[in-house]
Amino acid sequence: NIDPESLLPKLPSPDELRPFPTTCAAIFRGHEGRVRSVSIDPRGIFLASGGDDGHVRIWELLTGRQLWKVKLSDEDAVDAVRWRPGKDAAILAAASGESVYLIVPFTLLSPDVEQASREILDAGWGYAASKPSSANSSEPIKEPPAKWSRPGARLEGKGVLVQATVRSTVKVINWHRRGEYFATVSPRGQSSAVAIHTLTKHLTQLPFRRLKGLAQSAQFHPSKPIFFVATKNSIRSYDLARQELVKILQPGAKWISSFDVHPGGDNLIVGTYDKRLLWHDLDLSTKPYKTLRYHKEAIRAVRFHQGGLPLFADASDDGSLQIFHGKVVGDLMENATIVPLKVLRGHQVKSRLGVMDVDWHPREPWCVSAGADGTCRLWN
Amino acid sequence: AQPQNNTAEPSQAKVQIRLATRHEDIELPEDPGVLFVSTNLKRYALSSLVNNLLHTEKPIPFEFLINGQFLRTSIDEFLTLNGISAETVLNVEYTRALIPPLQVASFEHDDWVSSIDVLSQTSLAGLWSGGSLGSGQERILSASYDGLLRIWNMSGEVIATSTAPYNAGRIISLKSTKFMSDKKIVASGLDGVVRVYKYDEDAATITPTVELYNHNSGVENVAVHNQSSRILSASTDTTISFFSSSAKESPAAPSNFLPTSNAASNKRVKLSKADKTVPARGALSTLVGHTQPVSSVIFAPNDHTVAYSASHDHTLRTWDLPTSRSVDVRTTGHALLSLTALSKLNLVATGTAARHITLIDPRASATSVSIMTLRGHTGPVVSLDIDPSSDYGLVSGAHDGTCRIWDVRSVRPGAGAQVGEGQVGESVYVLEREGQKDKGKSRVGGEGVKVFSVRWDKAVGILSAGEDKRVQINRGSNSNAS
Ligand SMILES: [Mg+2]
Repeated sequence: NIDPESLLPKLPSPDELRPFPTTCAAIFRGHEGRVRSVSIDPRGIFLASGGDDGHVRIWELLTGRQLWKVKLSDEDAVDAVRWRPGKDAAILAAASGESVYLIVPFTLLSPDVEQASREILDAGWGYAASKPSSANSSEPIKEPPAKWSRPGARLEGKGVLVQATVRSTVKVINWHRRGEYFATVSPRGQSSAVAIHTLTKHLTQLPFRRLKGLAQSAQFHPSKPIFFVATKNSIRSYDLARQELVKILQPGAKWISSFDVHPGGDNLIVGTYDKRLLWHDLDLSTKPYKTLRYHKEAIRAVRFHQGGLPLFADASDDGSLQIFHGKVVGDLMENATIVPLKVLRGHQVKSRLGVMDVDWHPREPWCVSAGADGTCRLWN
Repeated sequence: AQPQNNTAEPSQAKVQIRLATRHEDIELPEDPGVLFVSTNLKRYALSSLVNNLLHTEKPIPFEFLINGQFLRTSIDEFLTLNGISAETVLNVEYTRALIPPLQVASFEHDDWVSSIDVLSQTSLAGLWSGGSLGSGQERILSASYDGLLRIWNMSGEVIATSTAPYNAGRIISLKSTKFMSDKKIVASGLDGVVRVYKYDEDAATITPTVELYNHNSGVENVAVHNQSSRILSASTDTTISFFSSSAKESPAAPSNFLPTSNAASNKRVKLSKADKTVPARGALSTLVGHTQPVSSVIFAPNDHTVAYSASHDHTLRTWDLPTSRSVDVRTTGHALLSLTALSKLNLVATGTAARHITLIDPRASATSVSIMTLRGHTGPVVSLDIDPSSDYGLVSGAHDGTCRIWDVRSVRPGAGAQVGEGQVGESVYVLEREGQKDKGKSRVGGEGVKVFSVRWDKAVGILSAGEDKRVQINRGSNSNAS
């Protein structure tokens, strides 16, 4: 009698897969109400957060010290914060209501970094002014997909320099790696749900007007001109250059909450409100290569480490984060090795909501989480 | 001198010991050879024995190391615990006892205290001031996230406070400060500027004399060498600057780093104009090599033309300052957050984000990266200083809310060190925050109790400061209580 288990290849034990985060290293307290989104800056020294109190806050990552804050709105939560990639400038994008705000938190920056950041944001005003007016055209003036404007003296005095307003509440922001484009998702926006914005031209485009289903998230491929859009049940990849659909992934989920693309570009993780975490190998199939059921409640966010470590994490309404080893091998014949490493507990569940977002440090095996309990936490 | 031979109980087991020390001033006048002592002796009895052999007038409390462990039980229990035969001749090393430090004072601030230094007759700055400082004239320097420097006397009174710098509305939070002498102070912070101040004790003022510009991100740490007027600064911009504290000696400041260099901040400067302008200068040289934020930098203890630096990029670098070149790189497994040098042992100690301290031999001849790993902290180790009375001692401050005292001769028995870690040491004492109500319990994320800075001075004691907005002083008691 052979135990079939013994024929399976042995997974390495978590001990052999160090380093990965195991401990809460700092608690960031200051938000009133839920923290919705967290993002670590490209240098790895600042943490940005946004929450139900309408504030964006910036913290010293290692100590938990709050260094900066701004109130973007009295009515709307800040649903997403994302630093622009690149170390030469420091620009933070934050979504509140129908607007995306582009922020240069100059009190934290040296004069030359402030200057470089302002120049990137200011370039678009000139572009908009130089555009030929549509007055000589006979067509009726169409409402543009987004209105780019100055947010007013109070916000500009804090370094909130540009406001791009779309037609419906923005829930997701994701940057292209070069920092020239960012995508936003407004799930209730129907034909204008997914927008791609060009930073230095203050220009917004709506390439996906006939999306089937409610848009959930969208992201650029890490190296190719490919764009992924998740609706409730599927993820489509598009070739931006040829403007055509490439692939439709079917995770078999009832409701996708989030997804992330592996830095190699050929693998994808998907989190769902129906408590599942799915790994897709784009070379293999449109069905998931692996389905992981570890959480008791919805998964709200999933994220790959982007700085060379084979790690990914998810965040759940059960109040925990789970850390996984996910090694992608170059060999097409060999599949990814996935090992659950650690459950990180500490966030309190409030009104059935737990951990709302997770981000990784750009290089270190450290992650941060955003909690419905009003705290952010650093784990190392 | 005949050791006490316990003849009262004939059944009492005996063991042979050979006494030795690494400290010249407490060496035995004559070698007593192998001694027979009762196995039920503990530290206190052995301490009396050594005092007898030394003919001390006032007994010195001693501690005993056997096979890298401090004796905390009777010799008998020690032998049983470690499976050592009573037939063996035990090599017993004695050293002055490190007396449990007691908390003696705390200095309350309005905000988090990021850095501290001390001026005393025994501190480096005190020696650089010509050793004229008397007992009772000790001064404590603190830097805070509120952007201010304060100088305190030992009664906990603030003697002088700096004014907030004018930097066109930028953040003023300070991260590091050092006494250069009894009249000169250096400080740096999140605005990336290194400032030199004149301290006038009689006028009770701390006045900036020069502002040094060369960083485009926060400066986490400064090191000073008064005799050569040199300053080193470690920045999150990944570079280290080599500055002079003298405006005359320094080149012009790079214009793109000045607060008035762009239109937006120029407008802000006009709104908050300083009444007096401080001369702005640049660096003598920039040390480029690290690829991630530099957390700490020190001058080599015996050669001010050499510097060591530790970085989030996992490396320790050795720099030749006259040529501004990185002459050695040691790569560890973790982000490095703090640094100090154990000069007699030719070692540097570096604190990591992974909650331990690594001892590294930075000499070119050294082949292994880590000589020893000190384990016990439960948070990032962000500050280190050496024991002024022992070549083997050091103190660490960590985000777990504790300072720990280490003796590198003390080795954890049978510890399964990870590959490349060297031996594993454990701490001798743990100092907690005085204001902490739940002492003995570790706080999640070190919330409210993180230690940011620790200094160990022979005259003043162990000073530590942090998130609890206090500077705490701990000093050993002078009793020989066992
Ligand atoms: Mg494959």
